[in-house]
Amino acid sequence: MPEKANRHYISSAVIVVRPEAEERVVRDLMAMERVEVHAIQGGKIVVVIEGASSGELGASLAAISAIDGVVAANMVFEHSENVEAMSDDRRIDAA
Amino acid sequence: MIGELTRRDLIKAHAAGIAAATAGIALPAGAQPVPGGVESLEIKWSKAPCRFCGTGCGVMVGVKEGQVVATHGDMQAEVNRGLNCIKGYFLSKIMYGEDRLKTPLLRKRNGKYAKDGEFEPVSWDEAFDVMADQCKKVLKEKGPTAVGMFGSGQWTIFEGYAATKLMRAGFRSNNLDPNARHCMASAAYAFMRTFGMDEPMGCYDDFENADAFVLWGSNMAEMHPILWTRLADRRLGHQHVKVAVLSTFTHRSMDLADIPVIFTPGTDLAILNYIANHIITSGKVNEEFVRNHTTFMKGVTNIGYGLRPEDPLELKAANAANPANMEPTDFESFKKFVSDYTLEKVADLTGADPGFLQQLADLYADPNRKVMSLWTMGFNQHVRGVWANHMLYNLHLLTGKISEPGNGPFSLTGQPSACGTAREVGTFAHRLPADMTVTNPEHRHHAEEIWKLPEGLLPDKPGYHAVQQDRMLKDGKLSFYWVQVNNNVQAAPNTKNETYQGYRNPDNFIVVSDAYPTITAMSADLILPAAMWVEKEGAYGNAERRTHVWHQLVQAPGEARSDLWQLVEFSKRFTTDEVWPAEMLDKHPDYRGKTLFEVLFKNGQVDQFPLSEVDKSYPNNEAYAFDFYIQKGLFEEYASFGRGHGHDLAPYDRYHQERGLRWPVVNGQETKWRYREGYDPYVKAGEGVKFYGRPDGRAVILAVPYEPPAESPDNEYDFWLVTGRVLEHWHSGSMTMRVPELYKAFPGARCFMNADDARKRGFNQGMEVRIVSRRGEIRSRVETRGRNRMPPGVIFVPWFDASQLINKVTLDATDPISKQTDYKKCAVKILPVA
Repeated sequence: MPEKANRHYISSAVIVVRPEAEERVVRDLMAMERVEVHAIQGGKIVVVIEGASSGELGASLAAISAIDGVVAANMVFEHSENVEAMSDDRRIDAA
Repeated sequence: MIGELTRRDLIKAHAAGIAAATAGIALPAGAQPVPGGVESLEIKWSKAPCRFCGTGCGVMVGVKEGQVVATHGDMQAEVNRGLNCIKGYFLSKIMYGEDRLKTPLLRKRNGKYAKDGEFEPVSWDEAFDVMADQCKKVLKEKGPTAVGMFGSGQWTIFEGYAATKLMRAGFRSNNLDPNARHCMASAAYAFMRTFGMDEPMGCYDDFENADAFVLWGSNMAEMHPILWTRLADRRLGHQHVKVAVLSTFTHRSMDLADIPVIFTPGTDLAILNYIANHIITSGKVNEEFVRNHTTFMKGVTNIGYGLRPEDPLELKAANAANPANMEPTDFESFKKFVSDYTLEKVADLTGADPGFLQQLADLYADPNRKVMSLWTMGFNQHVRGVWANHMLYNLHLLTGKISEPGNGPFSLTGQPSACGTAREVGTFAHRLPADMTVTNPEHRHHAEEIWKLPEGLLPDKPGYHAVQQDRMLKDGKLSFYWVQVNNNVQAAPNTKNETYQGYRNPDNFIVVSDAYPTITAMSADLILPAAMWVEKEGAYGNAERRTHVWHQLVQAPGEARSDLWQLVEFSKRFTTDEVWPAEMLDKHPDYRGKTLFEVLFKNGQVDQFPLSEVDKSYPNNEAYAFDFYIQKGLFEEYASFGRGHGHDLAPYDRYHQERGLRWPVVNGQETKWRYREGYDPYVKAGEGVKFYGRPDGRAVILAVPYEPPAESPDNEYDFWLVTGRVLEHWHSGSMTMRVPELYKAFPGARCFMNADDARKRGFNQGMEVRIVSRRGEIRSRVETRGRNRMPPGVIFVPWFDASQLINKVTLDATDPISKQTDYKKCAVKILPVA
């Protein structure tokens, strides 16, 4: 996929951690830029990663994989679109 | 309130919602996925299996304006349930490397083909003209045994099937072998020898049912991340579940190991026999199962190392000529045979911790614990790989822990269709479809009938296996050679002395079909640009017998064409008179003057499905090029080999609707566990368990010993060299090294080394060193930290990096039965760069 300029990428990932490391890993994740923790349950953490290229997202995932206590880190969903559309302040009526 | 969300918030909530659903966890109410939120995009989503490993994850592929713009894990795919590993995440980029091959390239000088010429772009017509001339010349001068092909476990099922027809029936040569020979030949041979049928009895559902997992020579955390996630879920979610990991060094999978076992290379054989001994001496044999469902055999020993026959090691090996021989024995002899393998002796030989060895043995012995054993290259790339596989089956058979949910030996595979194409279609030098062999006259006859070919056409001698092909190229006995979907100048062992010399031997004409200018392509005389993955309609078969079909979604760049088109189009350039013996045509004059295309593909069977059956909402270049639905025709003809014989496939069209189905598919139902009543329709009521692949319905328990590797460290070459892979790159890196982010994540191979070993030799972290064997050398950089921790005396070098060809250093020793190379054990020395 040739990456075009002015795009914004959003992806979610599921991270599996050793139970005793959960708290520490969550702290590390919260300290990462462009990474948001959305849910934690039973050794699994759902995060959303953002960036200007899928490369940035991939690099974040690779960094997450390397955190001590992380057993597995896999991407789930990716979305990308033009920055103009993404940063549009227009409210969306999803319903 | 949703109405207050920006589009960005909405997408983030949607992404998190899907991830949470995938992981089976609840999100706060405000963050549920928003229906209709992101679906409004103008992207057409279609399903496909991933292009990389043998796991066979389902992915959704998003196409916009003729390009793949996104992929994500398929929520409906049972294998990965929406997850996507780091390689899979970058899947959409593998087709768009800057140096994609877009036109055929031929070595030329003064406007004509010349072996020592430079690559020049040519038309497909000119490429095929030269190629056909060269092929005909070799056939005339040296006969069919000088024509060969090296294929792949990445071929689609149709491509492998078309190749096997073209080579065996068209050119009458069995010199067809897949790169899967390097990957799981040992597993395939042991399945056949033990159960009479290839491939695992269980499936991935075992991950959610096992009480213990044992990894034998597999680093699943890096090589099979999605299956590793399923395993980790089971382990972390259930207190009683145990994980044992056996390896020659410490790697990422050890993080989850309750029982970590580091052993001296090659001594896993002794550990396996110790466990068998432990099961017997602790009274844990499942006697009813052993009595009713197994038979005992003893294998010949001292079988050599698959080196060239004049090698001193081969001359010393008493049974190098007949390494596969077995003779019947009984339980008492087996018991006596393994009684030598005591805990004390085995701990001493292997260097492993005796406490952990005993805990490992207890996992198998405990009748209340369901055990799933998993293995990949540590077991298969082993000079005694077939034995290692057998010895593991021994443990599952002695305890009856097989063919039921959570209990079973499970051979993982590295390529997306190692099972589906290399094994099931039968692209090995000795095989025909559906587990049949070229040496069996009834099997050949059956194939000739299905293929509507003259009786006696198919050659009866097995062809050259992968390593032998390289040796015969070098020796000038194999002279027309076509390589598709693999990178063997990087992947083969001892390449400097064998493989590369064979490619550049002036007697030979080498054709390489690939999407990228790999080192193999650059070593060829003719390069054919290939379409890849969703640039063609395809079908793969994964490690759990799952057949998965996809539509063509986009067009390949430039003049690139699929391997299927290349094989079938090339067949038009030969008539039967040019390639079949005159006496055969005298007996069967109807075939005279016909092209190979007509007798192999337009044979009334492969061409029976008209274009009207092709789904109009997708492109299908091959169907429109040949004017019939060729993929369906090839699939249905191929499926007729296995239906009713334990290899049943569903009707082709159904696979376009499913996320794959596990064969045998009988009465529309897939089979999750084979050989057990209630799960497998081929086992009749009252039979309980039946290994019906063998005439006596019994699986083989084989007595074989520990024998040492072909080459071990000595005073001069004082390190073990182990080669392998890393998370970020797939195999030779021809695709993943072209994804900038994966390249950056792991740009160059490293020499992983024990920190004390490095210090003693004055090597610092990151320092450049020479890795030297008796065959060749490369330079790499010392890595004493990072993901792999080496014990003293062992180094690990991954093979993905074309700028550090570690296979110049490796030894071309193979398992003498499976002919699979041992890439995990040879002796090297490490020297400073002067």
